[in-house]
Amino acid sequence: MRLFTWWLRRALSAVVTLFLVSILIFAASRLMPGGFAEVVLGPFATPEQKAEVAAKYGLDESIVVQYWLWLTTALTGDFGISMISGEPVTTEFGLRLPVTAQLTLFGVVAAILIGVPLGVLTAVRAGGRRGGAALGRLASGLGVSVPEFVLGSIVVFLFSRYALGLTVGGYVPFGEDPGGNLRSMLLPAAVLSVFVVAVTARTTRDAVLNVLVEPYITAAIARGESPGSIVVRHVLRNASIPVVTVLTTVTAYLLGGAVIIEYLFNLPGVGTYIVQAVGRRDYAVVQAGVLLAAVVFIVMNMLTDAAAGVLDPRFGSAAKGRKR
Amino acid sequence: MRIPRILCAVAATAVLSSCSAAPVSDNAPTSEVPGYLAVADEAVTSGGTLDLQMTVDNGAATGLDPQLADVATSWQLMSLVYETLVTVGPDFSIEPGLAESWDNPSPTEYVFHLRKGVTFSNGRAMTADDVVGSFERLLAGQGVWKTQIGPVEKVSKVDDRTVSVTLSSPYQPFLASLANVPAAVLPIKEIEDGSVDITREMLGTGPFVVKSHRQDVSWQFTRRDGYWAQGKPSADTVNIAIAGQEQARMAALQNGSADLVMLGNVDAPELLNGVRGTAVGTQATTDFYYLMLNSNAPGGKFDDPRVRQAINIAMDRRAIADSALGGLGKPTGVTPAGLPGSCDPAQVPSAKAGLDRARQLLREAGAENLTFELAAYSTAPAPAVAQVIQQNLQRIGITVNIEQLDEGSWSGKVYGEVPATFDAALSWFAGYADAAMVGKWWNPEQAGFNVGFMEPNAELNTAIDKAIATPAGPERDTALQQLCDAVDTDAQMIPLVTRPALIGYRSDALSPTLYATEGYGNVLRGIADFRLLTK
Repeated sequence: MRLFTWWLRRALSAVVTLFLVSILIFAASRLMPGGFAEVVLGPFATPEQKAEVAAKYGLDESIVVQYWLWLTTALTGDFGISMISGEPVTTEFGLRLPVTAQLTLFGVVAAILIGVPLGVLTAVRAGGRRGGAALGRLASGLGVSVPEFVLGSIVVFLFSRYALGLTVGGYVPFGEDPGGNLRSMLLPAAVLSVFVVAVTARTTRDAVLNVLVEPYITAAIARGESPGSIVVRHVLRNASIPVVTVLTTVTAYLLGGAVIIEYLFNLPGVGTYIVQAVGRRDYAVVQAGVLLAAVVFIVMNMLTDAAAGVLDPRFGSAAKGRKR
Repeated sequence: MRIPRILCAVAATAVLSSCSAAPVSDNAPTSEVPGYLAVADEAVTSGGTLDLQMTVDNGAATGLDPQLADVATSWQLMSLVYETLVTVGPDFSIEPGLAESWDNPSPTEYVFHLRKGVTFSNGRAMTADDVVGSFERLLAGQGVWKTQIGPVEKVSKVDDRTVSVTLSSPYQPFLASLANVPAAVLPIKEIEDGSVDITREMLGTGPFVVKSHRQDVSWQFTRRDGYWAQGKPSADTVNIAIAGQEQARMAALQNGSADLVMLGNVDAPELLNGVRGTAVGTQATTDFYYLMLNSNAPGGKFDDPRVRQAINIAMDRRAIADSALGGLGKPTGVTPAGLPGSCDPAQVPSAKAGLDRARQLLREAGAENLTFELAAYSTAPAPAVAQVIQQNLQRIGITVNIEQLDEGSWSGKVYGEVPATFDAALSWFAGYADAAMVGKWWNPEQAGFNVGFMEPNAELNTAIDKAIATPAGPERDTALQQLCDAVDTDAQMIPLVTRPALIGYRSDALSPTLYATEGYGNVLRGIADFRLLTK
């Protein structure tokens, strides 16, 4: 029952957060200087044309009425019409979400398959004489520090000269041409993965190092357990919560649109779409996009909490209200 | 520490190979045919898929209606599907289009003889009714081009293949204005019976049909059967990717995933110089940058013409062209440089006055130590142009604070309010295909967009009217010079330098036809002739 109450409180808190986000984004989009008519209809648009567009999209109503209309229709799943394409916003996002989801998938898989083992390895060899641990720290430090646009630009430059079968831009959906899709997605995914892998590796390393100094690890060593067994049986599970937190946060961030990567590699994903919409004051798209990003973050946070409860029963107990 | 010999060898090889990677050749296209940057090799077999990359998509708020299209990007894309009665040649002469010939029995009468065998892509034959209907629709609509086609009084069908147009007064740019996409011949029957929504789909007489379009992502055009020009178009399919990022477009060109890309960086010819298999052409255009000085600016900064004239005198157009545009632009007056009859910018009053005169004008107007904000959008090379203006004006004691804005904020600031509240702003005009056309925008009562910051000037309006009404010949040259002088003296919108278009293409994969100078920003004007060498 306490667990149910805890989840109910989280859900209510999420609803309130989303409501506040909706107000903020609506107000912010309307406070941006320059309106849709000036931007897209261009300088030669007549007052009649501007008025026609305003009436068509309800922009001639007061901002409060506009917000109310948007909110009530959004609750039914209708996020309005893109003023640029004339298509429903949900359709437009539906076309772009696969690109972003694919990038996210590549990033997260790389984080799990490379970042986690790398973090564990650098942690368990932290005291060793070989330079591997230091190299790992250096690599992950660089990966976290080098801005995506710098790394991305270098990759774009290099692969513009030496394509090696890969393409910069030229995105094609996986369903249309799997090979072409992979050729166009591999480079952006690789650049994106550098940061994701690095941050996962650093977090894993720190988490594992924290666990390695616990008394039960000393006890396991005293019992004569092998290092591999200690890592698998005692370290990984206890170190996993911060790693899961980072992974879910990164996933949420990527699902919201890896703007720089999408832009650099000319990928028609969610991130570039929202940025374009901001530039052209395509209000319905901006509002839906930011709200979508907020929903993803909130849901991922809740999933993180749920995962933490499963991985470490103490978290579940805390959620149930037991004093620790 | 000793460096292993093998590393030394690798380093030496790298250095030598980078030295040997000097430019294979200057990769600017050269054509021996006057007026062309490149001419497609007709000996190459037709067919194949042409992959292009453009910077932005059609400005779709007005949909796909060509009569409402008011930007060059839309004209480019729509020109694959729509055609006009006449077209412009590389020397800006008027050439036959859907009209195979025309008569001009008096300065106010034009009779067009329509080409035989022209059909829309749905198979229906184009008729005189479509031409008449297209004129009537344009004149009754809200598109800006109805201002440019001039004082059309009456359009009538003479017979199925002949159309007569009567003007209320002589208008020299009439034929040139018909050569642009907004004046295209539309399928009027289908529009009227509702079987085609021209704002959402394209149905024209042109060489291609739209197979698919995703706004801001891509277009796919396919060759249409039954196109009236024998053997055209050459390419079977045209894929156009909308790639906002310059670097990605350059990369696509270099690695061969695009056959032709539009470039915005004036350093592109240098950056791509020596890249094997690529060519970068600089197409001169009649588009030009201009500086707006708001006569309604807060504090009355520019309501005194002497202040505006002083600023105009201090403009070093050559420096703008060289520093901000890499030497690829040309100083211009209001009649765009490169068009027949355009005035010599060195002969306008401001060009003959010196900086001392500018300082004197400022003193007389009590505007020494003037400071103002210059709104410029962030798309290159506008910020660089703004910086050179800033340096120009420092020479006469004027301080310019550059306000770099995204396009939305810039548009809101400049066009959003009447009277406008900005001080000064930088923008560019499409220069069109007749020297007097763009001058019409200097009359705010005709242009509309500048009523918020520009006071009507009767003398200037007279010069505009005279330039558009005077037939070609020495008298027109004089009228155009007078127009330049009047705009120069008025100095509310100050013409600066032309805006070049940079086109990169794979010289090992594509043989394109490109004009050396373009009036309607249509790089793809010759696309029906493009030949693919490897596909």
